[in-house]
Amino acid sequence: MSFDLIIDWLQATLRWSAPLLLVSIGEVFAERSGIINMGIEGIMLSGALCGIAICYLTKSVTLAVLVTLLLGAVLGMGVAYLTVSRRTNQVVTGLMINMLALGATDLLFGLLSGSRHVRVATFPTLFPKSFHSIPVVGKILFQQPVSTWVAFILPFLAALVLYRTTWGLNVRSVGDNPQAAATAGLSVIKIKYQTVILSGIFAALGGCVLTLGEVGYFASGGMTGGRGFIVMAAVVVGGWDPLRTAAACIIFGAADAAQLRFQAVGSVIPYQFLQMLPYVITVISLTIMVKRSRVPKTWGAAYDPEDV
Amino acid sequence: MKSVTKSKMIRMPLIGDVMMSGARTVIGIVMGLVAGGILIALSGVNPFAAYASMLRGAFGSLPAFSNVLVRASPLLLGGIGVAMGIKAGVWNTGIEGYMYLGAIGAAVVAIQPLSIPPILHVLLSFVVGMLFAAVWGLIPGYLRAYKGVNEVTSTIMLNYVAIYLTSWLVSSPQPLAEEGAFYPMSKLFQESAQLPILMRGTSLHPGAFIGIAICLLFYFILNYTPFGFRTRMLGSNINAARYSGVDTKKQVVFIMVIGAILGGLSGAIEVTGLKHRVYMEFVTGTGYQSVAVALLAGGNPLGVILTALFFAALKAGGATMSIETGVGASMTDVIIALCVIFVIAVGVDGRRRMKKKTAKAETAVTTEGKEDEHVV
Amino acid sequence: MVENEFALQMQDITKRFPGVLANDRISLDCKKGEVMGLLGENGAGKTTLMNVLYGLHQPDGGKILIDGKEVQITSPSAAIHYGIGMVHQHFKLVDTLTALENIVLGMPTKKAFLDLAPARERLMQLSDEYGLHVDPDTEIWRLPVGQQQWVEILKSLYRDAKILVLDEPTAVLAPAESDQLCQAIHRLTEEGRSIIFISHKLREVMEITDRVTIIRDGKYIGTIQTKEATQLKLAQMMVGRPVSIVRQPRPVIEKKEPILVMKDVNANDDRGVQALKNFNLTVNAGEIVGVAGVDGNGQRELSECISGLRKLTSGSITVKGKQVTDVVADPSFIGFIPEDRQKTGLVMDFSVAENLIIKDYYKEPYAKKNILHHPVIKKHAKELIEKYNIKTPSGDVKVRNLSGGNQQKVIIARELDAEPVLDVASQPTRGLDMGAVANVHDILLKERNRGAAILFISAELQEVMALSDRIIVLFRGEVMGVLDGDKADASTIGQMMLGQSPEVAI
Repeated sequence: MSFDLIIDWLQATLRWSAPLLLVSIGEVFAERSGIINMGIEGIMLSGALCGIAICYLTKSVTLAVLVTLLLGAVLGMGVAYLTVSRRTNQVVTGLMINMLALGATDLLFGLLSGSRHVRVATFPTLFPKSFHSIPVVGKILFQQPVSTWVAFILPFLAALVLYRTTWGLNVRSVGDNPQAAATAGLSVIKIKYQTVILSGIFAALGGCVLTLGEVGYFASGGMTGGRGFIVMAAVVVGGWDPLRTAAACIIFGAADAAQLRFQAVGSVIPYQFLQMLPYVITVISLTIMVKRSRVPKTWGAAYDPEDV
Repeated sequence: MKSVTKSKMIRMPLIGDVMMSGARTVIGIVMGLVAGGILIALSGVNPFAAYASMLRGAFGSLPAFSNVLVRASPLLLGGIGVAMGIKAGVWNTGIEGYMYLGAIGAAVVAIQPLSIPPILHVLLSFVVGMLFAAVWGLIPGYLRAYKGVNEVTSTIMLNYVAIYLTSWLVSSPQPLAEEGAFYPMSKLFQESAQLPILMRGTSLHPGAFIGIAICLLFYFILNYTPFGFRTRMLGSNINAARYSGVDTKKQVVFIMVIGAILGGLSGAIEVTGLKHRVYMEFVTGTGYQSVAVALLAGGNPLGVILTALFFAALKAGGATMSIETGVGASMTDVIIALCVIFVIAVGVDGRRRMKKKTAKAETAVTTEGKEDEHVV
Repeated sequence: MVENEFALQMQDITKRFPGVLANDRISLDCKKGEVMGLLGENGAGKTTLMNVLYGLHQPDGGKILIDGKEVQITSPSAAIHYGIGMVHQHFKLVDTLTALENIVLGMPTKKAFLDLAPARERLMQLSDEYGLHVDPDTEIWRLPVGQQQWVEILKSLYRDAKILVLDEPTAVLAPAESDQLCQAIHRLTEEGRSIIFISHKLREVMEITDRVTIIRDGKYIGTIQTKEATQLKLAQMMVGRPVSIVRQPRPVIEKKEPILVMKDVNANDDRGVQALKNFNLTVNAGEIVGVAGVDGNGQRELSECISGLRKLTSGSITVKGKQVTDVVADPSFIGFIPEDRQKTGLVMDFSVAENLIIKDYYKEPYAKKNILHHPVIKKHAKELIEKYNIKTPSGDVKVRNLSGGNQQKVIIARELDAEPVLDVASQPTRGLDMGAVANVHDILLKERNRGAAILFISAELQEVMALSDRIIVLFRGEVMGVLDGDKADASTIGQMMLGQSPEVAI
């Protein structure tokens, strides 16, 4: 394995981790408040298309991101309405949101353009060109689009919010004992809405980063490739902690990056086995870590404000 | 409060309960169809024309209806597989993976020129397909039961693994692969390993009838055997099941493997009956659709027959609609998902309210906390 | 303006749940500096009334006056705003947070970031003032139950509650802790705060309260000065007929045949904390051994170990010479009435008939050649419904639709009809009304006289004393003492429940 390949792999690891990291932040908060937003796969997909579409139509990356965030909030609101207000089963809701998004993005992408391969401008890099040629770090760090930097800084911010702020305390209490939170005078429903909407926003942003930060095009038929589910696994592996979840995301991102790099250079291992890598690693790490994690007490359970 | 409770012992007769849930399902489906119509209208097509075209595409002629049955086959088998899981309290979302494995297993047998009667060749293909799928299903089943790994995540991850495994197996130079094909695919199945066509000029194979028979079989198993009793007990109250001496872990594995076998059979039927080859992505979407079928049926095997046929009609009609009106074929998936979302949004609340009513009416004893064991 | 005498007046409160009238025009008032008792049986509507006061339920009728002014309490935060504090029977604390975090939770604040230092200071001050000491930085689940209650009370005081509602506060307290609570209550009333003290234990109500309001079946029965009341009078008002749990005469069984033998049993609870420590116990045929103790001292684990639901970390359990290694689901061997009937004992969505065979469904005659025989199952249900007087129109009705007492009868019928050699009854009367309690006692006594060995686990000391031939007291997973059922007195048991060494051991 050559040195260049390793550099290349590290650079790709950061880039491919970025969407996962972003999605995971929202999901950690949602699950900490007791709601599993299984629809993040679908919301990611919607965000991916939305980013490309708006960017294609308006030529503005900023506008694309803003609209994507809005879409994420709306979809998150939908999931929140179903799971929090209507108290639907969270697995069912998530799966159906995914199915809906899969069909809808296909349809809309078909409508969007005759040409099936719209390519648009991607996120700019944060550092000037002169930095890019610095050996090693130039390629690994400074060539990264701005989204990668954001994605790597946000988990720290998320940890700060979760453990050091009043709102973070509220979220943690709502997931562990909603009745206690309610008797303490908190609005459990409101907090759950907030976290689930947050998870929608971040999922859409993650999807948008997948297209605008990385490939620059959309492919119909589920281009997120189960990344939403990988994030859900990362949250469990990371024990519902923003930083440990981020670490898990980076491992999965590295696997993702590895399969693409090694595929490109060709190897003795058939490329299909490399493609399996992220999924296999996800299942294995889940198996190892699952018993060590402390689950939010009402994880996945419906909350009925009348149950006192 | 006590005396009131006693006089109101029966709050809702059984028939009323069933009718209520039936009514909710119908309301949800209607709302889903209306929402789908609005989307069709938004895409610039007259929704009435589109639905009319859909109806024609599904029921307009005998060949059209035979197409519905062909599409119903994987939904019936996948649906009943998921439904058994629902009855036992597990989400067997790995139907796509099982179908790939079933198809591969079937292909291993079906491409061989064996000098045995066609019926045996087909059956042997089925058996090997189901065996492959069973082994595949053992993985998430074991992980869920003994390691506490959430089956939704693990099965969906394994679906992707199954897709790439299939892709590898049907690419040359693997023995299954067709040499020099423009797209990686397996060799054509032997004619003796192909399911018979039941109606000339169509691709109607017996898959749907096998599926319906199996749904009936599982209806019987669930309601008339100790195994079914155990399964339902597990799904309704895992603590009570354990207390009654059920090996709940083993039962979870059983149910996951049964779902896998049914998925495997579904895949085997799909390739021996319709595609006559195995290739990547031959089942796209069936996984989610099977879950939708089982959900709408509330896990009831008889309901699975109805909902599978309904969704198959939507899919068959959707294809016609797509050709005639230009609405994308994916609209069917959108409509199916919308139907299920509306059904659960209308339904769950009512059920919970009834449950709450009784809980309130009973005692001051609270049942705080969910089941002891979390599966994550 | 005249200072209002009443801190709280609740007038004609009505609360309906679908199909149930939980509160029917109930009135309750409480003067400043007064302890008002609220007395009623389980299910009489006490908790519902208090949930209305705390804004957790909205009343369908009636009004609430705080300090003479009518108010609408629409949420717990509104209740807190009006100076109402509540200590629920089942604590509303977040287990994974520390005591301090629980206390500041939900406090309105302008600061985005948590600043716990001032809160800590205030908390320490309150702890000292009322003699309720807790470690502010310990996570709730690590605290003993008694201290969890202190956290709850401190939480209310931190919010400067003028009216403090204590819902069955002594259920989880050992007698000495109850005394501590009494002292805190006195200090609170001296400051002019009002206490609403909810209980169904007459003795406590007599000791602590100034006045008592009695409710029954969701209806207001009356309010009397405690000084003018007697326990008997309160009991009659509460139950509507004269009642008492008396020790019934029983035939002496001479032959001692050990049935349940537990040797050096150690076991952990769900969190992996040791729940039973070197536990030794023998229960003989024809004997009721009562297990007394404050809830949560290993009772649940004890019953689960015997039925094989919980694995031992060491030691052995034998029943009639047979080692218990796996779940025993044979009601002709061990009849097990679990403490949580809805969570463990029943499948709520199954019919009565199905629930009657959840341990025997695969055996003849209910199943032959792997096929269930529904006619036989129905017939079996019909017989047991009649025999145990289960009030249900038929065996096809879902258990969910039965009342608590009748649900318990379903379990009893299933567990005891096959005449097991050992009965394990864990909190079998919890949440039942007096009539149903008496019925359960009768059945267990009959079982004893039949020759079954019976382990009777209950948090109700009175019941344990009325029913047991021998009494053991459980404290933190250990046997504090063994007493003769005929001679045991409540104060000795009370001491043992607190972990003090026995004075009278047999």
